[in-house]
Amino acid sequence: MNSPAAVDWALRNLPGALRPLRERLIADVVTITQMPAPGGEEGQRARFLLERFLEAGLSEVGSDEMGNAIGRLRGRTHCRTILIVAHLDSIFAATENHQVTVDRDRVVGPGVGDNAVGVAVLGLLPEILELLGWELESDLLLVGSTRSLGRGNHGGIRFFLDHSRDRIDFGICLEGMQLGRLNSFSIGTARGDIVCTVRPPNGRARSHTVESALVVLNHIVHQILCIPLPTQPFTKIKLGKMHAGRYYDIEPERAELGLEIISHSDEMIEQVCSQIADIVAELGARYNVEAVFDRFFLTRSGGIPFSHPLVKATLEVMQQLGIEPDQTHSLSELSALVARRIPTITIGITHGVKNHPRQPDYVLIEPMLVGVAQLLGILRAIDEGKCDESPAVAR
Amino acid sequence: MNLQQWLAERTFHHSNFWDLKWLVEQKERQGVTVSLCLPTLNEEKTIGKEIVIIKAELMDRYPLVDEIAVIDSGSTDRTCEIAASFGAVVYRSEEVLPEMGFYRGKGENLWKALYLLKGDILVFVDADIGNIHPRFVYGLVGPLLQYPEVHFVKAFYDRPIVYSGVVRPTGGGRVTEILIRPLFSLFYPELTGVLQPLSGEYAGRRSILERIPFPIGYGVETAMLIDIYQKLGLWALAQTDLDQRVHRNQDTTALGRMAFGILQTIFWRLEREQKLKLLQEMPVLMRQFEAKDGTYRPLEFEIREIERPPMIQVPTYLEKFYGGIPPA
Repeated sequence: MNSPAAVDWALRNLPGALRPLRERLIADVVTITQMPAPGGEEGQRARFLLERFLEAGLSEVGSDEMGNAIGRLRGRTHCRTILIVAHLDSIFAATENHQVTVDRDRVVGPGVGDNAVGVAVLGLLPEILELLGWELESDLLLVGSTRSLGRGNHGGIRFFLDHSRDRIDFGICLEGMQLGRLNSFSIGTARGDIVCTVRPPNGRARSHTVESALVVLNHIVHQILCIPLPTQPFTKIKLGKMHAGRYYDIEPERAELGLEIISHSDEMIEQVCSQIADIVAELGARYNVEAVFDRFFLTRSGGIPFSHPLVKATLEVMQQLGIEPDQTHSLSELSALVARRIPTITIGITHGVKNHPRQPDYVLIEPMLVGVAQLLGILRAIDEGKCDESPAVAR
Repeated sequence: MNLQQWLAERTFHHSNFWDLKWLVEQKERQGVTVSLCLPTLNEEKTIGKEIVIIKAELMDRYPLVDEIAVIDSGSTDRTCEIAASFGAVVYRSEEVLPEMGFYRGKGENLWKALYLLKGDILVFVDADIGNIHPRFVYGLVGPLLQYPEVHFVKAFYDRPIVYSGVVRPTGGGRVTEILIRPLFSLFYPELTGVLQPLSGEYAGRRSILERIPFPIGYGVETAMLIDIYQKLGLWALAQTDLDQRVHRNQDTTALGRMAFGILQTIFWRLEREQKLKLLQEMPVLMRQFEAKDGTYRPLEFEIREIERPPMIQVPTYLEKFYGGIPPA
């Protein structure tokens, strides 16, 4: 192992050493962004990633039944297996305009930061290591995962982990943004939709005496807000989105509410979800509407403590590269890995904007190489055993 | 070679040249170099993406292209700044060959590209392509590397496809279908096989491009086709289907001005080849009308399709490439 000063020097100079790959990274970001990939339709991006893996000479390149794109970069001694995952899907429908603009300092396009940049870095990683002449001891298991967002509920990575025969020692989840993000734990999260539908008798027009779906949903919301929530363990219900009706003079027959429950306690998540289900069932029956609570997304709380050597090593890498860390919880693939007690972090590659009401998604070009250098620094730290737990540190 | 045979043997699809490794090997074996020229005028929205994609795939990953140059007609936006930031060499057309003067126009930029770029094969790609892909370059270079007798390759887009027994038009574009194709049918019937004679993407060997004149504006594409056809015959031409191309759509009045310039270019050639005799000098004022507040206002545009001489006749060029001695 190099001396600490030498490591510091090498890390600080990594973004400069990566410069020859700058245009290739941007080009891949553009290409991936322009491939529509709503959940379940990630095939084009998966094929692109598999091509990159094949070109780089990876072994065990292929996709599984869920369409995850998988490749293995063999290390010298296979002493560890490090899983690096980037989700392939995007929230944008295939029908939206996916054209990208490349400006001097940024790449602009739908979903570019979430998660075209993460996928591009994953695809280019073998060539990056080759450019630098780095040969790791550990195996790298590279996975572009499908069905991550929304109702996908991390289906791709969960399937992969359920069927992998590898003992995975560490996980790194790549997200396009924000650089400095360091997620090492997830809190329990459930997401669901409540849908109220007025039932017209025998398929005829709805009676004027039957309540509007919107009003019934309002009663449900009122009851949900009355659910007592503890401050310890921290628990919160977020009412995120609502949709009903189209006209001023016609009461809607259908109303929808999207909500999220977060808690430090998985038991509280279950308890609150159960209470919401009861409220929905009862008010549906009382007002004679079809009311359904569909919980489609659930992550368990868990992760590694800030004292874990993986977190410490990552913070050190960030400090050496001048990256300001932002340690919060994450809803990324991380939750699927920590549920299997794999020490995992989620990091971001660059800065940018997404889902802004008045400006298109974009990522900044210049920080990208710092973000890649960060990934390399973390990989090297893991490879050198700096992130191995002492027996006293619990996962 | 008749037209049908030409269509069958000289019409390619970009996927015929997917094997970039093989193309690079051919290039190296033949000892030729390839230059890409992007003529620009206010293309800040698309130029960055074009350069990044082509450089990454066809210079860094597969070294098919040896240089990328932007030749700019005087952009007032950030086209030049963005192009330079991604590694393209940027030239301002007015500063090149100052002894020859400067005209604003795409044809002027292409003509000066012959002097500026080093390649034996020159590829010209418009800078306003929304869906840029490496195929826009390798699809045009491929036939030149595979067939030594091909000297000029033209792009076309959107293949004719039969749906439910109905043949979809070739998508040649409005000016092509109502101006170029009728004129070619009348005077150059063999060139009617070129499905999109006005497409802005093409590649050619320096050895022929330096020997033809270049109109500075709208007529450059038509002139190239006619002049190369006259010098080398149909056999030297080829065309490649590049699938879809996303770009700005021009309004009809703009296309009218384009047609006016192209007509000048074609009439000159018809007279040169003694296929037509003009009894008066062609006017250069294009008149269009604008309706406003119930009245019609005339709009006049001066469109003068000046032609640059074959580059081989320019002494500075001759000196740079042939040490002042014209090639045999």
